Amino acid sequence: MTRTMRSPAKVSGEKLQLATFYLGNLCLALEIGQIQEIMREVRITHVPHAPPEVSGVINLRGEVSTIIDLRRVLGLPPAPADTARRTLVVRAPGESIGLVVDRVADITAVDAGDVTPPPPNIGKIDGRLIRGVYPCGERIIAILHLEQTLALAPVPIT
Amino acid sequence: MPLDDPELIADFVTESREHLADVEGQLLEIEANGANVDIELVNKVFRGVHSIKGAAGFLGLTTVNRLAHSLENLLGKMRTQELAPTSAIVDVMLRAADALTKLINDVEGSEGTDVDAHTTALDRIFAGEADTHEPASVRRSAPPVAAPKLATAEAAVVATPRGEAAPSRAEPKREVSASASFKPTVAENSIRVPVGVLDSLMNLAGELVLGRNQLIQTITMDDHAGIDAVAARLDQVTSELQEAIMRTRMQPIGAAFSKFPRIVRDLSAKLGKQCEVQMDGKEVEVDKTILEAIGDPLTHLVRNSLDHGVESPDVRAAAGKSTVGTIHLRAYHQAGKVRIDVADDGGGIVPEKLKQKAVERGVITAEQASRMGDREAVRLIFHPGFSTAEKVTDVSGRGVGMDVVRTNIERLGGTVDVESVPTKGTSIQITLPLTLAIIPSLIIRTRGECYAVPQVNVLELVRVRVNEAHLHISRVRDAEVLRLRGELLPLVRLDRVLGMPAASEAAPESPVSVIVMETGPRRYGLVVDEIVDSEEIVVKPLGRHMKGCNCLAGATILGDGRVALILDAAGIAAADLAEHQDLGPNIDNEAPSGQVIPQDVQELLLFSVEPDDRFAVPMSLVQRLERVSSADIKMVGGRRLLQYRGSSLPLLRLEDHVVAQPLSDMERCFVIVFRAANREVGLLTPHLDDIRQISPEIDGQTYRAPGVSGSFVFNGATLRMIDLVELAELAYPEWFVGANDQQPLDSEGPLVLVAEDSTFFRKQVSDFMASKGFRVIGCEDGAAAWNYLTNETHDVQLVITDVEMPNMDGFELCRRLKSHATLGSLPVIALTSLASDADKERGREAGIDEYQVKMDRERVIEAVTTLLPRRKSKSPSHRAASANQSEPCLSV
Repeated sequence: MTRTMRSPAKVSGEKLQLATFYLGNLCLALEIGQIQEIMREVRITHVPHAPPEVSGVINLRGEVSTIIDLRRVLGLPPAPADTARRTLVVRAPGESIGLVVDRVADITAVDAGDVTPPPPNIGKIDGRLIRGVYPCGERIIAILHLEQTLALAPVPIT
Repeated sequence: MPLDDPELIADFVTESREHLADVEGQLLEIEANGANVDIELVNKVFRGVHSIKGAAGFLGLTTVNRLAHSLENLLGKMRTQELAPTSAIVDVMLRAADALTKLINDVEGSEGTDVDAHTTALDRIFAGEADTHEPASVRRSAPPVAAPKLATAEAAVVATPRGEAAPSRAEPKREVSASASFKPTVAENSIRVPVGVLDSLMNLAGELVLGRNQLIQTITMDDHAGIDAVAARLDQVTSELQEAIMRTRMQPIGAAFSKFPRIVRDLSAKLGKQCEVQMDGKEVEVDKTILEAIGDPLTHLVRNSLDHGVESPDVRAAAGKSTVGTIHLRAYHQAGKVRIDVADDGGGIVPEKLKQKAVERGVITAEQASRMGDREAVRLIFHPGFSTAEKVTDVSGRGVGMDVVRTNIERLGGTVDVESVPTKGTSIQITLPLTLAIIPSLIIRTRGECYAVPQVNVLELVRVRVNEAHLHISRVRDAEVLRLRGELLPLVRLDRVLGMPAASEAAPESPVSVIVMETGPRRYGLVVDEIVDSEEIVVKPLGRHMKGCNCLAGATILGDGRVALILDAAGIAAADLAEHQDLGPNIDNEAPSGQVIPQDVQELLLFSVEPDDRFAVPMSLVQRLERVSSADIKMVGGRRLLQYRGSSLPLLRLEDHVVAQPLSDMERCFVIVFRAANREVGLLTPHLDDIRQISPEIDGQTYRAPGVSGSFVFNGATLRMIDLVELAELAYPEWFVGANDQQPLDSEGPLVLVAEDSTFFRKQVSDFMASKGFRVIGCEDGAAAWNYLTNETHDVQLVITDVEMPNMDGFELCRRLKSHATLGSLPVIALTSLASDADKERGREAGIDEYQVKMDRERVIEAVTTLLPRRKSKSPSHRAASANQSEPCLSV
């Protein structure tokens, strides 16, 4: 699995297509290729005994997909009630998983060489969930480490 | 680096697996052929290994390459007939092939793996250094021992050749495989689909497109009439499509069978046994989910047959059997299901031994064992109590018990049974559904969420009305139980077990819906808010984050597009059990211990003809309850008969014999079946009210009449206690003629002492005994009885005693009697209303000769007759047990 993913922090000269989105003021990104689709409202079925980060499951065109609240994974407080939240459906091995975010922004092409390794933590977020950061004007885009995020409990990277 | 190309690697893995899948069987065949080498067969294996070697070299997988190379060398020598395959050689090759399979399965980690033990062993044989010759006669029985040098070297380094790996793996895998029934397997393998099936799929897809076009057209044209036709067409196409897709999932069961020759080969060698495997019906197809899930249970059964079934060669020879045992695997279709038999021609199961073992382990009581038939006894092997104990003592770690096999098969919606003939062999019969992908289920709702419950786990549905809830639902310690036809069924509240916040007690007006669930040996009632519908659902797996949700077996999508979760009956039972640790798993079949229900309680069946005309009979006399259609009741010769189960049951109506309101015409009514004069009789009643455990204060005077033994007050109403035997005699006096034709004796009948604190029961028993020609002494408790027996001159020949009595209870009385010099030989019958097994055990310890249920007159008299000392040649006469039992009972 890891073999198939190129590490953006290492390869230079290569362009990365990043889809950016927000949790509050925090700007996060995933590589565009990792995102399958973006959904507006979804009818979630709550799953008892599931981990707290899991909001439930949805019917994604006949498949039952897990929905994860990204705020909970990153340890952020719940979103204000009026937030029109979106679900990013990402491709994970063997299944599609929905990540609930506050707001979807834009697609940015960045130079892979400009992506720097993350500091130990960004705001209050565990640095292990971030693959790299990219300063883009006034904002800093934090590129999410998808596998770590989906693993819910981050394991130390050696 | 080619290793960076995942597609190439994946292709290599797939291809190598295909090669290796055949290699094992082929090697075994080579071994079986012995020196008579089938060159073409060796060639096949050679080519397979050669391709793996080549591809591995290209991909830079040096370890795989090296191992394949050594294996290939040896095969090459066999091919040219420079080397004759012996068991020892094939053994080394099989292990090498296993190691190769392991490397392929973890191709990314293969580089660091140490395969030196294998390559060295192979190369030594290649160089002709290893002593691989052995007498042909022991070839089958002890292959690994033949090459001791190699065997030890390997055992040290390669800790996991498949033969040994299986048991240790079986343990942790148990839980996984148990919950894997509806969950996805980690690696979705590709499957082969016949082109014909694909063609029909394509066809149907075309039809579907056509149907969609028609639908769109019909809707645009607003053609309401046409829409029915389109719907019908779509319906048909969808069904056919579903069927065709199901066919693509069907795989021959041979895939699950193929590993058994190897397993049996290795294990029989280890056990010093000789055994061969016969397989029939490898081509029988089952859904791939079933195929995946049945592997472990089957492996266990085969290992079990070999370990416990097939005897060692000398035992077999002594029994006049062939020294080589046979395990016969057979798959076939039966009534829309798949049947798999695992049969051995071994020693079989001796029911008596099994019973004895079961009693020792406290699985059943000695009393249960004595009543148990052989077939039933053999089924004890599936009892959890058995294998748990076995697992602890079994050092060889044969792994899972038969109860787990049963649980796993039942989770698949299948059943398992066993048949065994001592000295001839044992046959385990598994019945499985064809598919798991679509299962009939019940849709229920709790807290606004819909859930699906697989129908295989559903026994029945029970609705408890709110105003009756307190009558049916009670608490035992901290668990709720439902009284259901005299049994206590533990209740599990779905919202609680799913961890939902406690319900606000706001909806008392809605009735309680209980689903009676069965999973393995456990039965419980699942309390849900509402039962919505029953539906065939398509099972969808849940994602990886929900692996820990043991209460769920998957999910499905309902007609409205919403996701509904599928409940796992076994998981819920386990979750609930974890909550109520102290509550044994068998609470459902036993009355709770003495402190909950006092001993003097009678279990009574309450029924009524009209709401204000209520009756009761002791449950202990009731054989069973039936609900029948009035149409099935025929009048023959002025008697009512019920035709059912191929025979006719004589029926009684209360109002014909007892002052009661006549039965109005009803479509359906209930029959209380009981025994009288050695035959079954049914009492008709329009309503069954309840089965309750109550201690009635019975008034034996006011309502005493033929057929009515007395009355009591319960919940503000007066109920009449029906004497079923008397009632039967009123209706069918001719049945009792045989019993009554002996001349009544005068006061010379045997003297019986009755100790009973309840005046009603004492009178009942005394009257009854008197009517049968006995002389009776009544005592109001054990102390009075003891005084009478020790202080008076008497010729008491038998003591009938209640158990629970003030001053001195039945146990104490019995203990004293049995240790008394002269009274010790006096037979003692204990009469109880609710005898638990523990009580019976206590009673036996105290020396009680016989336990009988109060009010069951026929059996009491039977017991009395058997226990009475033989010297009395004059048997007690049976005076008519008619209405006028005027003979007074003697009271102390």
